[in-house]
Amino acid sequence: MIDNLYLAWQYVRFNRAKYWTLVACITLVAFLPIALELLLDESEKQLLSRAVTTPLVIGAKGSSLDLVMNSLYFGDEVPEIITMGAAQDVAETSLALPIPVYVRFRARGHPIVGTTVDYFDFRGLDVADGRMIAVLGDCVLGATAAQRLGVGVGDGVVSSPETVFDLAGVYPLRMNIVGVLERTHTSDDLGIFVDLKTAWIMQGLVHGHQDLTTVEDQQLILTEEEGNVVGSPKVFEFTEITQENLDSFHFHGDEAAAPITAVIAVPVDEKSGTILRGRYLTPEAVHQIIVPKEVIDGLLTNIFRIKNVLDAVILVVGLATVLAMILVFALSLRLRRREIDTIFRIGCGRATITRLLAAEIGIIVVSSAVLIGALAAAVARYDHALVRMLFIR
Amino acid sequence: MSAVTRLSTLLIAGAVVAGLLVAHAPHAAADDPLTVYTVSYPLAYFAERIGGDHVKVTFPAPPDVDPAYWMPDANTIAGYQGADVILLNGAGYADWVEKTALSQFRLVDTAAGFADVLIELDDIVTHSHGPTGEHSHEGTLAFTTWLDFRLAVLQAGAVEEALSKRRPALAKELDANFEELKADLQAIDDAISEITASIEELPLVMSHPVYQYFTRRYGLNAVSVHWEPDVVPDAPQWLEFEELLQSHPAEWMIWEGEPLEASVAKLAAAGVGSTVFDPCGNRPEEGDFLAVMNENVENLRAAYED
Repeated sequence: MIDNLYLAWQYVRFNRAKYWTLVACITLVAFLPIALELLLDESEKQLLSRAVTTPLVIGAKGSSLDLVMNSLYFGDEVPEIITMGAAQDVAETSLALPIPVYVRFRARGHPIVGTTVDYFDFRGLDVADGRMIAVLGDCVLGATAAQRLGVGVGDGVVSSPETVFDLAGVYPLRMNIVGVLERTHTSDDLGIFVDLKTAWIMQGLVHGHQDLTTVEDQQLILTEEEGNVVGSPKVFEFTEITQENLDSFHFHGDEAAAPITAVIAVPVDEKSGTILRGRYLTPEAVHQIIVPKEVIDGLLTNIFRIKNVLDAVILVVGLATVLAMILVFALSLRLRRREIDTIFRIGCGRATITRLLAAEIGIIVVSSAVLIGALAAAVARYDHALVRMLFIR
Repeated sequence: MSAVTRLSTLLIAGAVVAGLLVAHAPHAAADDPLTVYTVSYPLAYFAERIGGDHVKVTFPAPPDVDPAYWMPDANTIAGYQGADVILLNGAGYADWVEKTALSQFRLVDTAAGFADVLIELDDIVTHSHGPTGEHSHEGTLAFTTWLDFRLAVLQAGAVEEALSKRRPALAKELDANFEELKADLQAIDDAISEITASIEELPLVMSHPVYQYFTRRYGLNAVSVHWEPDVVPDAPQWLEFEELLQSHPAEWMIWEGEPLEASVAKLAAAGVGSTVFDPCGNRPEEGDFLAVMNENVENLRAAYED
């Protein structure tokens, strides 16, 4: 047997091009469905694990998928904005704990998640380095975000303006990094978390400026009325929150009208959740309430429907590859007829020749299997990152 | 006993223990004392009286600061963030809350129920810019609401409601405790009403502008200056005070804390007595809120009887 293997090995070494072509064909055809299966399993796991642990999401009527992808996975698509009043409505029912989220702004490609401290308790997020957000302007980073941005506690991160040409739009705000969260292998690793009010600062709803009642620069004053000073457009608004200017930050308008993208509702118990859902089923309800698991289940059903089509395509391609390989081997045998005759004449029996050819095929198949195993192991090792990169983002 | 019997006994015992642990777990959570943080001492006192052993009340302001203007550090804010309930005085008291990352849904504004009777300050310069209305960074409302003891009862009621909402099973006990506290607060209210009614329109000077609700509730004829008990007023302040006495011949100055001897002597020379009515915004060195208020009542009685 060893002799056969030795001869077969020498043969494939001599015909490297043919060997590698066949190995590549088998590897690709077999690896593709395995990789697809691994990645889909992982994406299902990732999508479902987060969806299952998020009982209810309330948001604007419209695409429930956009709402879930934005609220749970901090996706790029921003759903229609709702107001803090929606969260306050939930609080008033006492049926669930509302956790408002505002995922609209970004900093160097990473989502800025405006929320309340309840979010960290709800997701079980702990600080690995530094401390939790405490005052306006503080932010904590997910482990991956900190790693990719190359920043840590004590550094700053500046929010990205929404559009370059919108001079009256959202101004960049420098946030102070006070903590980095422990890695959770979820979307939270990618986020930059701030208090809701800090997110509203980016929108100009909360702002800080010089004290107009004591400024010396008269150009900052438009008019002085009895008991009131009207500021001019020259009034400089702070773009960084420091200990010195923190006191000057104040909220404009009614907090109930402040914008958020969704409310994660954590019901007191199952019955409360059902009652709460019922309240959003009336025609007068301006918001929709969704069970993220149902939305993700629907998404996965579609993905698996597509996967079935892909499986069929791969099966056909695989079959064609196998046929092509049989053809290659058959042609190869015909080309090697003189070589096989010579082997026969020098005293080898038919069984030996069969073993020799089987050893050649075996080397090709084993080489492909090793390659497939290595590639599958690599995909399995990095499936989390690959899924985030390819599917969830 | 065979090995199989021993194993079966162990398994059954294990299952029973696990069952008991599981059955006990939710009750343990419900029985845990509620963690209550407050922004002022009166609210801490109300919560302690109403909640008893069912609450763990924390009022973390250091004793030497005015809690209305104090700014907690990050560690203290973390404590507030971990609380089940954060009791706010409302009326703009401790406006640091607006600058910190506290969950809105754990905050309880104890003055929310009487927002329409809050006193607006008339000596604040507001400002406006852009399309927004007039506002002030310093606040536009008087905030020592608890010095009107009828409002204090309402605030205590809000505390009781907040605690009962989170521990419905204890509602009866919490309500009984609230009724006891209400009786004590009403007794103080009655006593002050009786004292102040004995001499109507007695001109008084308040050492600090923190007695707006007190003045309104008891119909006092009081004017405020801006003096500190631990600082002897300077010449301009004395001059201003002497001018004030021309139009408002006060016989008593009510201080928020024990004044310096020099200040008392100088006031006495001008024919003005000194007495203390401590608003008790921070935890007293001795006694509790009720003890301080009872002492305040006695100080007031002595002044009115003099």
